[in-house]
Amino acid sequence: MKKVFFFMIISMEVFAITPDKIIKNVEHNLQSNNSYSQITMTVTTARGERMMKMESWNRGHEKSFIKVLYPKQDRGITFLKIDTTMWQYVPKIEKMIKIPSSMMMQSWMGSDFTNDDMAKESSIVDDYDPVLSLEDAHKYTLTLHPKENAAVVWGRITIEVEKVHFIPLKAIYYDEDGIRQRILYYSNIKVFGSRHLPTVMTLVPINKKNNKTVVRMDKVDFDAPIDDERFTKNALIRYSQ
Amino acid sequence: MILLKMAFRELLIHKKRSVITVLLCAFSTALFIFVNALNDGSHKQLIRSSAETYPGYMQLTGRAFEDNPNYDNLIFDTPRIQNILKDQKWISAFSARFESYALYATDEQSIGGMFTAIEPESEAEVSRLKRSLVSGEYLSSKDTNALYLGVEFAKRLKVKVGDALSFISTGADYSFAADHLIVKGLFKTKLYEFDNSAAFVNKSYFDEVMHSTDSATHIIITPAEISQIDAVTQRLQKVVGGEIEVKNYKMILEDLVLAMKVDQIFSYITLAIFFVVIFFVVAIFAFLSVYARIRQIGVLRAIGTTPGQVMQLLLLEALILGIIGVGIGGAASAHATHYYEEHPISFGFWGDVEIEEYYKQYNMVAEVTIPTQYNPPKIAVEMLIMLMLNLASVLYPMIILRRFTPIEAMRHV
Repeated sequence: MKKVFFFMIISMEVFAITPDKIIKNVEHNLQSNNSYSQITMTVTTARGERMMKMESWNRGHEKSFIKVLYPKQDRGITFLKIDTTMWQYVPKIEKMIKIPSSMMMQSWMGSDFTNDDMAKESSIVDDYDPVLSLEDAHKYTLTLHPKENAAVVWGRITIEVEKVHFIPLKAIYYDEDGIRQRILYYSNIKVFGSRHLPTVMTLVPINKKNNKTVVRMDKVDFDAPIDDERFTKNALIRYSQ
Repeated sequence: MILLKMAFRELLIHKKRSVITVLLCAFSTALFIFVNALNDGSHKQLIRSSAETYPGYMQLTGRAFEDNPNYDNLIFDTPRIQNILKDQKWISAFSARFESYALYATDEQSIGGMFTAIEPESEAEVSRLKRSLVSGEYLSSKDTNALYLGVEFAKRLKVKVGDALSFISTGADYSFAADHLIVKGLFKTKLYEFDNSAAFVNKSYFDEVMHSTDSATHIIITPAEISQIDAVTQRLQKVVGGEIEVKNYKMILEDLVLAMKVDQIFSYITLAIFFVVIFFVVAIFAFLSVYARIRQIGVLRAIGTTPGQVMQLLLLEALILGIIGVGIGGAASAHATHYYEEHPISFGFWGDVEIEEYYKQYNMVAEVTIPTQYNPPKIAVEMLIMLMLNLASVLYPMIILRRFTPIEAMRHV
């Protein structure tokens, strides 16, 4: 009897999970107050492959700082994101540039990611209404529809989430006409303390045959101490060296 | 011969009637030819302005570039294509371009816009970019770090000739590209949106910073004979091969060409109404003239003139008046169309509205002068049409006349 009661409680708990809760769990799983990571990004096009190495410092969803380490000619390029605003410092021209909203859909560092992906100008929690469209034994499939008046770039997003640890598995991005534009695959899941994190993200644009961008997290340190000064515009130049 | 003499004598006897018929015919011929010439001239002018402002008469691009305008669908062997083009006698000029996008930054702000490489000397032969210079200087093939900027874009960036700014962009190999630029010149076309977002640099400099050597997004071509553009397009497609797509202005400016076709249809409808009105005016006038002569024709028939000879007489009269009227109208309109081709009619204002400002809000090429198109063969055909129309207008009176017997005709009051 006790077992049955326990099962019922668990079932109700599972049944009670809302699409909003699933999305929040996903975000919670992927983010922490402070994190430091070393990243390798490989951009593959029809004409070849290009690799970049970067360091990234993040504070929650709101703040992040990226420094390019490789290739040599791009070393020292830094990016700062605070909320939805992004700045870039380019040592070659010694200039700090604010990325305007009109450039948000432009490619980030020649990859298939856009500036908007980096700045997260549109947030999947704040700007989209999730609807649970499919559920099986292992995963939820959610469809995210833009909220009314939300300044978003995608017509809708469908995302598959692993049920136990709320790990994103795949996200498909559609334009306003409902045409698939790109697919983001999450893979190589690793455990970091209580978190289960996909350490490889592969972005495949639909309209660019043979193109893909693979982001691999070589090292991740959650809750690493990060100086507040890291997330200031002065840091763009100072930490560029 | 005797019928011809009779026809002339008849026309001279009724001078007033003959003069009115000739004037009517001359006026309608002149109006018909001039309106057509104005219509053709305005369409030609619009096509010329639209094509020459920037897109060009013909474009070569990578086969998949239109659907996916990215760096994987470029023309990767531009020198080979240019060598092929050099040998084509039906091409008068060509120039390579590399269209890209950049973020321009001044100390105050950063704005995204077009970042396009041109070959300055040859570009001047395929577009009006050089002629659109309003301050500073146009680019040269030796320039580095020199920017040729649209006036409206310069206003947004708050820069003028001599000012410095920087750009960041993605190179043709997807690498990161950035450099300093100095504004060398400002241009103003009649396309507001273009002036508001376009910027050009010398291609050899661009190739260096954007790693785009031997590559181009477009090769712009001016054919030797624009009227032969469809044939040139077909020939060129065979010569350059399947990996390259050849398009002419009818495809590039498809919407404009379609709008002009619709306009042409409305012009034809207007002309058709015009034809009907002219036809009935002349026909009624001819009918009244013939009707007034029924007794005279009855006498002619009574003294042995056959119905066929009467018909010939009336046709000869119509032909003589038609030739004189159409001749005068044709000559006058030919002179006028030739004159207004050289000295286009100016439409700077429409009431209180400045035409250029009016068009600007729709981002259309504003033409404040409209030339006519002087085309002698076409004028000759139009004169012939008017002559046939004049002859057709006497057919009905002739049919009516045939119903009368000589006795009935002579008794007709």
